Amino acid sequence: MTVLGGIGFTAPWLLMALFALPILWLILRAVPPAPIRRRFPGVALLLGLKDDETVSDRTPWWLLLLRMLAVAAIIIGLAGPVLNPEADAAQGDGPLLIVLDGSWGGATRWSEQAEAVEAQLTRASRAGRTVAFLDMARPEPPVFQAADAWRSRLPGFRPAAWQPDAARAAMAVSFADALGGFDTMWFSDGLDFPGREDVLSAFRNAGAVEIYQTAANVLALTPAGFEDGAVQLTALRAAGGPEREITIQAQGRDPAGNASILASAGAVFAAGETEASTALSLPAELRARITRFDIQGQRSAGATTLADDALRRREVALIAGRESREGLQLLSPLHYIEQALAPNADLIRGAISDVLPANPDVIVLADVATLSPAETEGLGAWIDEGGMLVRFAGPRVAASDISRIDEDPMMPVRLRTGGRTVGGAMSWGQPKTLAPFRESSPFFGLRIPDDVQITSQVMAQPDPTLAERVIAELTDGTPLVTRKTREQGQIVLFHITATADWSTLPLSGLFVQMLERLAVSSSASAPDAAQLDGTTWTPEQVMDGFGTLSDAGNLPGVPGPDLINAPAGPDMQPGIYADGDRRLARNVIGAETTLTPAAWPADIPIRGFAVPPEQPVAGWLLSLSVLLLLADVVASLALSGRLLGRVNTAAAVVLALLLMPTGPGSAQTADADAEADAFALNATAELALAWVRTGDARVDELSQAGLTGLSQTLYFRTSVEPAEPVGVDLEMDELAFFPILYWPVTPDQPRPSAEAYAKLNAYLRSGGLILFDTRDADISRFGGSSPNGRKLQDLAAALDIPPLEPLPTDHVLTRTFYLLQDFPGRHTSREVWVEAAPPDAEQIEGMPFRNLNDGVTPVVIGGNDWAAAWAITQNGAPMVPVGRGFTGERQRELAYRFGVNLIMHVLTGNYKSDQVHVPALLDRLGQ
Amino acid sequence: MSTATALRAGAETEAASLPALLARAEHLAGSVLLGDHGRRRSGMGDDFWQYRPAQPGDSRRMVDHRRSARGDTEFVREREWQIAQSVMFWVDQGASMRFTSNDNLPQKADRARLLGLAAAILLVRGGERVGLTGTALPPRRGNTQILRLAEMFTTDATDDYSPPEHRAMIPSARAVFVSDFMGDVSEVRLALTKAADRGVRGVLLHLLDPSEEAFPFRGRTIFESVGGSLSHETLKASDLRDRYLDRLASRKAELSELCAVTGWQYGLHHTDSTAQSALLWLYRALDTGSIR
Repeated sequence: MTVLGGIGFTAPWLLMALFALPILWLILRAVPPAPIRRRFPGVALLLGLKDDETVSDRTPWWLLLLRMLAVAAIIIGLAGPVLNPEADAAQGDGPLLIVLDGSWGGATRWSEQAEAVEAQLTRASRAGRTVAFLDMARPEPPVFQAADAWRSRLPGFRPAAWQPDAARAAMAVSFADALGGFDTMWFSDGLDFPGREDVLSAFRNAGAVEIYQTAANVLALTPAGFEDGAVQLTALRAAGGPEREITIQAQGRDPAGNASILASAGAVFAAGETEASTALSLPAELRARITRFDIQGQRSAGATTLADDALRRREVALIAGRESREGLQLLSPLHYIEQALAPNADLIRGAISDVLPANPDVIVLADVATLSPAETEGLGAWIDEGGMLVRFAGPRVAASDISRIDEDPMMPVRLRTGGRTVGGAMSWGQPKTLAPFRESSPFFGLRIPDDVQITSQVMAQPDPTLAERVIAELTDGTPLVTRKTREQGQIVLFHITATADWSTLPLSGLFVQMLERLAVSSSASAPDAAQLDGTTWTPEQVMDGFGTLSDAGNLPGVPGPDLINAPAGPDMQPGIYADGDRRLARNVIGAETTLTPAAWPADIPIRGFAVPPEQPVAGWLLSLSVLLLLADVVASLALSGRLLGRVNTAAAVVLALLLMPTGPGSAQTADADAEADAFALNATAELALAWVRTGDARVDELSQAGLTGLSQTLYFRTSVEPAEPVGVDLEMDELAFFPILYWPVTPDQPRPSAEAYAKLNAYLRSGGLILFDTRDADISRFGGSSPNGRKLQDLAAALDIPPLEPLPTDHVLTRTFYLLQDFPGRHTSREVWVEAAPPDAEQIEGMPFRNLNDGVTPVVIGGNDWAAAWAITQNGAPMVPVGRGFTGERQRELAYRFGVNLIMHVLTGNYKSDQVHVPALLDRLGQ
Repeated sequence: MSTATALRAGAETEAASLPALLARAEHLAGSVLLGDHGRRRSGMGDDFWQYRPAQPGDSRRMVDHRRSARGDTEFVREREWQIAQSVMFWVDQGASMRFTSNDNLPQKADRARLLGLAAAILLVRGGERVGLTGTALPPRRGNTQILRLAEMFTTDATDDYSPPEHRAMIPSARAVFVSDFMGDVSEVRLALTKAADRGVRGVLLHLLDPSEEAFPFRGRTIFESVGGSLSHETLKASDLRDRYLDRLASRKAELSELCAVTGWQYGLHHTDSTAQSALLWLYRALDTGSIR
């Protein structure tokens, strides 16, 4: 490849063709454009006219330039230009070893690193070098292969959740010594590790070494602690630097079970400092849901710290058999256990039936002998679902007959009558001490203090199952703590009291540790190795280098002390470990970890990842030339005048094609939105009465005219000043804007869809009123089988309509504005149905009407064809004759009055039903 | 506009908006065959002649409502013809007229026929006799003559520039020539002088397409006449523009001068302006132009 001015060419000789461009220029200038044939009657006038110049219209210089550029772009494009050609640096042709640190430190920038590695592979492949990979976190003997073979395997390299250590460094050194001469490219994570210098010197012995390392600082997060009621978080960075703010996120599951960020806190690295601390104060409920903390923008195992039981405070319900509030505190059966649990558990007090709904993790029964059947049942169900019942013996248990003959379901063992007392003044023996815990015991490994003495206890009845249920015993072999599992839960019995009466155990630290081992409480601070002595922890989930948890599969369990002390590695992968009910998080970063940046000798070149990749630009240039030629076509047509007239249609076609997929659809939705907005604005700017479109033109016209007449009447007579009535389409329009819907029933109107019914029901429930008008009161009675009546039944079947009754004489509709007893429209039927009054409404003696202070009837149903009686034309004349002569006009007036009353009822509700109005109404009623 | 019926419908529409055109009768004696009460047939005059049933083509304003109100039929009141004049039309049917520079504009031929027929309808309403120059269609009166005229107008000539017909001109009649006058001007001169010799006066309507006025051409172009008989190639059309416009102006001047000499009226009309304006001008030219 030849490099000219920073651009490489694969076929540079083709560039010679550029010298032909000036010749092309001359030729293009010499050749005139093709003539256009035009019909023109005026040619008769042109005959005999000579051209002034013999040279035709020259192609304009810019068009020539355009064409030249197009040709030049083709020539240069075919010459194969390459941007950012890799400078052939001091790399030889020999084998190349690519070394990856492969630790979590590089996980955040792993993809950049992978790109950089790929760029180097491409280059090596071009140079024909063989390549081998060495992953320092998982060293394996390097194998030299063709670079292309590695490229497909590149995605297989993943960062490990641990760092290289001295042992692995030694392996790498031995590999390097075995290989002989090679060049090395070391992609470092920027963190130091033991033995790094040795490895480096081994590589330098073998050949040239280049270091690739990102300038970004490595961030890490130490395990979260819980202190002073807040979660304490500390972030680390490898190298000091300018002040930098980071955000630490607490991840977990929200109540719906979805992974989300529960809380976040900012932390600031002061300039030059490598530590930043922050505290996150969270409610216990929220805190218990946290599964991990990580640093925003970082994607590595180091910047992730897993939360375990240390953050999780258990809920423990404490129940004593004898609650003596007045008693001395130190004598309370719960005093010691409270003291033991209070620092790291949430305590609940109360009766069993009260605490069970809180679903505590543990219920402690101190000297509670008998439980009621209901309590037994509730506790049993709770234990079956994973609850843990811890019982302490005491005088009451000893005195009771519980679990004597048969094993009580709430007891792990049968008890002998009475207890035994040892070491007392009258007894025959010394106080007993605890025997060392057996290996099967959850307490195995705990150190037993010398001063723990047992003076009294309840005795377990020997049973075939006793041996396996004992988890702690005295030196003479009598069981001290027994346990049995029940479904998913367990029942533990301490055969002693929870006070210091029967033993000194509650006074010792062993008591607290035993409770911790039983997962009654969880330790606030990270356990030390000694505390975990003798336990084996099985991994549940392990973390990869990116900080992502995955199922541990069948990884072997690890001993408890290793969990604390052993460095992370393939055998000790960071993740969540469990021992029984206890869960412990092993994080990449320990509390004591510090990050050390890798320091390289000054004579080794260090480069960043950001190597601009080679970019062939031939395709771009060729595309450019095509575009230029297209522009030339357009320009030539425009110059010769052939574009005019055609370009419009052509452009229209092109535009139409471009816009076709999106244009009409979006335009339609936009139109629909605008229409809906206009409808809403129109309907809400002023009060408007609404009627339902039936599809019958005459009925719709009458509805509109009728409501117009009613609106005008309201305008003239009352303070209600409605705007033009609105016809609504039940399917399309929003109903919520209208206080009342006038719904004339026609036999052939379509049944509304399910969505429309949902809208109508919502409308009715939110206080809307529908006036159904069957318009057939002249020929049919309500409920009769007229076509309109049947249609109404069909329409209203799906509506949420309460029980109805004929409008009673004391209904509020009779007096909301006018005092009325008839509600005529064009017909004079008296049958108007409204929501039935509640059955308990009774008329008080001396009152004109019942006390009905609730709500507006959601429907009014009648058949009087009110709209026809209300209907007026544009100039205010009635549209439909009503009755005959003056009585007809009177009937029309009453119809208007009914309309006014109805609208008043809708707008003011039961206001006129208020008894306050009684005196005035009585006065007007003449009573 | 290609069929006779369509042409007539268009012409009726144009003519409906103008009052009946009463051509001035100059030289009454020569043109009028019979004097007062002499014709014994309907036509222009002050005296009642007859009521006849209204026919399709009669405008509403011709209906005599006093008579029509007596029955269900609508009647037209006709007066006895007293004075009549012959108006002869020559509308260029040459190929050069079948040209338009823009799809939105009518062809010159369409516009010319429309104007000619509309004027003829107006004249017939006024009681005049209309016909074509030459012997093809001598002047007659009545609606049938309009139909004949329409039919004659729709026949296309094949040659590029057809010369004005100047044979068999009726002495002292009126004439209307509509053309683009792109052809040989000497033919026009011959026709006009011949007409002047016979005392025929008239109107010369010069009909041009906008592109013929503007000459908006550039680049290397071969201009061809519509019929294809003439062609002219130029390397730089834009250079020709000024000289073409000069020639066009001189052609106009020549025609105008010719008209002035022979007592004709010269009018210029472009197809992108409305037909109404041209008809109005034609009406006024025929009405008042020949007052001496």
